[in-house]
Amino acid sequence: MIYVIDHNDSFTHNVVHQFSLFDKVECDNYNQLNKDKLKKATVLVFSPGPGNPKNYPMTSKIYKKFKGQKKIIGICLGFQQILFCEGGKIIEQKKIYHGYQSTVKVVSDRSLFEIGKKFKVGRYHSLKLKEPFKRKNFDITMRCLNSKVAMSFENNNEKIYGFQFHPESFLTIDGNLLIKKILSA
Amino acid sequence: MNKIKKLTEIHNSGKPYIIYKSQKGFDLYTNFSKKIILNNKNIKSFLNSRQKNKSNNTDLFIGFFGYELLNYLINIKLPKQKNINFPKGIFYKPETKIHLSDSFEYKFKNRFKSNNFKINIDINSYTKIFNKFKKKIKRGETYQIKICTKYKTKSKINPLDFFCRLSKTNLAPEAFLIKDKDYSIISCSPENLITKKGDHISTKPIAGTLKKTRVLNKSKALNYFRKNIKETKEHNMIVDMERNDLSRICKVGSVKLSKQKIVEEYKDLFHYVSLIEGKLKKNIKNIDIIKAMMPGGSVIGCPKINTLNLLNNQEKENRNIYTGSFGYIKFNGDMRFNIIIRSILNFKNISEISVASGVVVDSNAKNEFNENYIKAKALIDLYK
Repeated sequence: MIYVIDHNDSFTHNVVHQFSLFDKVECDNYNQLNKDKLKKATVLVFSPGPGNPKNYPMTSKIYKKFKGQKKIIGICLGFQQILFCEGGKIIEQKKIYHGYQSTVKVVSDRSLFEIGKKFKVGRYHSLKLKEPFKRKNFDITMRCLNSKVAMSFENNNEKIYGFQFHPESFLTIDGNLLIKKILSA
Repeated sequence: MNKIKKLTEIHNSGKPYIIYKSQKGFDLYTNFSKKIILNNKNIKSFLNSRQKNKSNNTDLFIGFFGYELLNYLINIKLPKQKNINFPKGIFYKPETKIHLSDSFEYKFKNRFKSNNFKINIDINSYTKIFNKFKKKIKRGETYQIKICTKYKTKSKINPLDFFCRLSKTNLAPEAFLIKDKDYSIISCSPENLITKKGDHISTKPIAGTLKKTRVLNKSKALNYFRKNIKETKEHNMIVDMERNDLSRICKVGSVKLSKQKIVEEYKDLFHYVSLIEGKLKKNIKNIDIIKAMMPGGSVIGCPKINTLNLLNNQEKENRNIYTGSFGYIKFNGDMRFNIIIRSILNFKNISEISVASGVVVDSNAKNEFNENYIKAKALIDLYK
């Protein structure tokens, strides 16, 4: 079972529908989580959401508790939340991407995806990861073709993944494929 | 002609009635056997009530939910606001339905005029709010937010005369008129929020409006929208948000973007619209649908909950009907609801017109303030 932790977002149920193509999905808001579901889940998904990782200490706690035991996937805010827990700084960027379609490129040969491959993706973020960011086992695997901003990371050792863009957006082409590959890793 | 006479007769009799745009023409509903005034206490039981008769074309409740009531349904509290104590929602059970053609006439001589509309937020305070929200967008607290301004004037209008003239210049697909004893609403809403038939549901958000000119045709309008980054971004966001809201209540894999960013042509306007459809999950009740879809995202901003809270803490005056929903619930469960925008509320001899436009990072306060005025102007012009 996949447990999606919602951060009061207006895109979370797109995430739920997308993951439901591959497994049973449960979803609750971050302040109404169910302990049994948390325990039972094999995959935890941190949803997109407004604000900054600092606003969601509960999600950080869950991340630290289950890191290494369950597969954890973060999307947008969820991506930032994981990196924040790993010591990354999340900062405002000059250009704001709310409702943008951009091209991202696979930049790491340790990625599940072929290096050099490009994807068209939908973006909704005003914050980004401050770089350089270095953490053992965490690789930045995709970047925006134009701005070079970090767009995905993979930790294939501990099965932790994150997308700064939105695989579930209608602006993302092949979003299902991305999720399928991460889930089967 | 007989029907027009009948309409004039009903109007002159002082009997309450409702006119709602249908696919071809308008439907007139009257002879109300029930009037239900909604509040926080009875809204849930109203939405959960079941009716026996389902076969007559008047087996339905028609009316509106105000903005505050829709917030209440999704557990969002409004702070204390200036309030004219207009009902939070009203529904009627009609016993008579009459079909009218698009071009119904109503002649009226002693027209009410006013050139004394007052705005509740001046450009300076608007700019302050605008800059505050811009900061919140940069911090990621909201992705898009709509600032609402309100125009008011003392009035003593004939609502049928106003509605008739408005429909002539702007035949909007979700237009309606409610004429009751103590209030009236005149609307040229273009936006359908819910069309539900059986287990099929659709929503048709609009983001992007362009006034027609002699040189502007449909394909040029499409070109304009595609090149306009602000409109495109806003539209994209609304599409994903509406997909989300439908996904709450629809079967996995059934939510489809069946029309993506197309241009629809109306008498005076082009609209940039999308159509999103889905199949409802089993056991989904109408109250679940209303809670998932309302208030309609395209007039609020995104993400919905946080943005509603930001808006509500900012606004000093109750929105009343504005960004609520008007429509009907048939006794067989089918529904049709719009989003209440481009509307005039007449209550206690005051007309109020609310408008809103979106804050995104690359827009500026003055432009948006003016856009609000342009939106209100079509309605204010009726008072000339």
